[in-house]
Amino acid sequence: MTNEKIEIRRSELGKSMFENILLPVSSEFYPGKALERSAFLAEIFGSRITMLYIIEEKTLDNTDKISDAFRSYYEREETKSDIRREYLSTAEKVIFENAKQFFEEKNIFPDEKISKGEFSDVIRNELDNEQYNLIITGYERGCLLHYRIIDSSRVPIWVESGAGNSTILAVCSNLAPNQKVPRVSIELAHSLGWKLHMLYVVDMQDSVEVDKRGNRSGTKSERELTDAGEEFLKEMEGAGVDTRLVTGSLERETVRAAREINAGLVVVGREQKKNGLLGLPVKSIKKKLAEKCEYSILFIN
Amino acid sequence: MENNQSTYEKHKFNRRDIFYIAVALSVIALFLILPPPSGLSREGWLMTGILVMAIILWITTPIPIAITGLLIMVMQPALGVETAADVFHSFGNSAVFFLIGIFILAAAIEKHGLHRRMALKFLGIFENSPRMFTLGIMISSASLSFIMPAHGVAALLLPIVASILIAMKIMPRQSNFGKVSMLAIAYGCSIGSLGTPIGGARNPLTIGILAQEGIRISFFEWMKYSMPVVVIALPLVWLILQFSFPPEVDDISKARREIENQVSSMGKMGRNEIAVSAIIALTVVLWIFFSSPEYFGLAVIALLGGALLFFTGSISWEDVEKRVPWGIILLYGGAITLGVGMNDTGAGSWIANLVLDVAGSNVYLVMLVLIAFTILLTNVMSNVGAVATILPIGLGVASGISGISPLLASMTVALSGGLAFMLVISTPGNAITYSSGYFSTKDLLKAGGIANIACIGIVLLVAMVYWKNMLGM
Repeated sequence: MTNEKIEIRRSELGKSMFENILLPVSSEFYPGKALERSAFLAEIFGSRITMLYIIEEKTLDNTDKISDAFRSYYEREETKSDIRREYLSTAEKVIFENAKQFFEEKNIFPDEKISKGEFSDVIRNELDNEQYNLIITGYERGCLLHYRIIDSSRVPIWVESGAGNSTILAVCSNLAPNQKVPRVSIELAHSLGWKLHMLYVVDMQDSVEVDKRGNRSGTKSERELTDAGEEFLKEMEGAGVDTRLVTGSLERETVRAAREINAGLVVVGREQKKNGLLGLPVKSIKKKLAEKCEYSILFIN
Repeated sequence: MENNQSTYEKHKFNRRDIFYIAVALSVIALFLILPPPSGLSREGWLMTGILVMAIILWITTPIPIAITGLLIMVMQPALGVETAADVFHSFGNSAVFFLIGIFILAAAIEKHGLHRRMALKFLGIFENSPRMFTLGIMISSASLSFIMPAHGVAALLLPIVASILIAMKIMPRQSNFGKVSMLAIAYGCSIGSLGTPIGGARNPLTIGILAQEGIRISFFEWMKYSMPVVVIALPLVWLILQFSFPPEVDDISKARREIENQVSSMGKMGRNEIAVSAIIALTVVLWIFFSSPEYFGLAVIALLGGALLFFTGSISWEDVEKRVPWGIILLYGGAITLGVGMNDTGAGSWIANLVLDVAGSNVYLVMLVLIAFTILLTNVMSNVGAVATILPIGLGVASGISGISPLLASMTVALSGGLAFMLVISTPGNAITYSSGYFSTKDLLKAGGIANIACIGIVLLVAMVYWKNMLGM
């Protein structure tokens, strides 16, 4: 692809994919790496960034619940109000100021918003009111956030870890429609100038095949699923992508492959795994990946 | 600022809550159906069932912990373990009134911001370097927890320290200095709450249960027993914080300016502040010199202090209504009736014998098990609940093994019960400081785990060397 074509592609992507980036910052967790990534993408795609500081009411409610026998209602409300004031002050005097300095060096001027509520609810509400093409966040295990938004958002979510090199690992499997992931990954690799690897996982823990519309088939044999996977990869090879087919647990193989190539980004689609080890239900494959994978992940629902 | 309605609804039972309530009630049903083991009366067996129910409810908290206290009081006469008169007799212990008195005194301190002035004075002394500043936070937290409940101290210091960190542009979660500063509040309050009977409700609970056993402790005696633990634990835990999260900040001048600003904004002490200070000082002096059994006891002096606050106009009944947490009285009631019921029915001794069968008769090993188990339990449930659970077992251990007196076992459990360092749910102090956003649950577990291990050693050392050998407990 010539440079001219890449430039055209970039401007197309800028409009279609990353025109508006939402950068949620919870009072529970400051995702410094997500800031850097959003600036990086905004520089390339000319994106508008909206930084949304979320005062986590859930934390306050949790504190309230733990203190209810020990402190009177009045005292608890007083403390809540103190903490809210502290959050606001932190947002205005530390978080936004720090971000402003960082972004201004790159000639980026983000919008700033403050909202209170539960992380996923606030983001969902924001998505209902404004048009965004991408959410960039971090993932913190040591906090009370549940990151339900990862499962429910129709807007792609980029969970930034800061690790890895300039390589994209696109993950396809028998458990996903495999429509958006190849397209987005190829476009992204071209735009960013990153190398692209395609992994196809035949997951026998849930041995069904998901079609292009997202419908699950009946149980299939390993041979059938492998054949389907190989056929899919042939198409990708035709597009000049490095491909690999593996059999095993989707989560484990994804983490392993990301580690092997030191991926800068893992692109994952709408996986529909229903059964885990020993036939136990899988709660959220995306959250599991976000927890276990030390590399950045782009979830495309 | 936009306002989004959280999906978290405090007052509705969710499926998880209903599951745990069902489990807790099933336990009672199971104990009702199954015959008691040999060596334990049916009353003792049912009391053990109530204990297990309380532990499940206190750990999983599907209902407020004070309501679990109520349930304990209801279950005993309902199951025929104790008569209603016996249950409420132990609830009427003077320690209940001591608690009410403490909260009235604390209400006056909070109303007039006396604690804020004291905290700023303390912090002003330690503003030479970042490390000394965090030591100052710990000492301030601990010192204030000597004269008022530790949770109130944590709630007071949080906005003070947060405003200093904001002035210093310290980034939440990113800065070790921020982590240490906030953890210093949580741990300082916990350690300080051991120092006097005022710091935490588990202290009056221990005093109340010991009084039922005929052992009376004055304010001064409590301090005599507990202070060595405080004095050793405070600098040691501070050192653990310094090693766990070495502060990256060199310049403390912004903190100094912020403290100066806050002190100057408070102005001079007003008439009410002076009156409250004088009454608190008088109350503490009376507690130290006249709270032994031959004089007035702790409760009378606490209530006298409370009454004086009304006479001087420093506090109104409205303030008392606003600031006295009646939930703690119910929790205390449940906890003390649980402890007394466990003793009366022999359930405490029976469980103690099970412990002794495993741990043997080695005094050091038994004490180590008692301390470690109490610290473990207090980390996963309310520390009043943890002490109420373990104290009867400790008393049973004391009667089953020579070399451990009831007082030694009780003080060991009471002090270990205050050392909840590891989890957000362990104590309101941890939850309040966690909500500041400056440290993660992982940070708390890391520093708290090491601090708890160190404190197991400290309590064991003080118990075996100071209490047992030097004081002859």
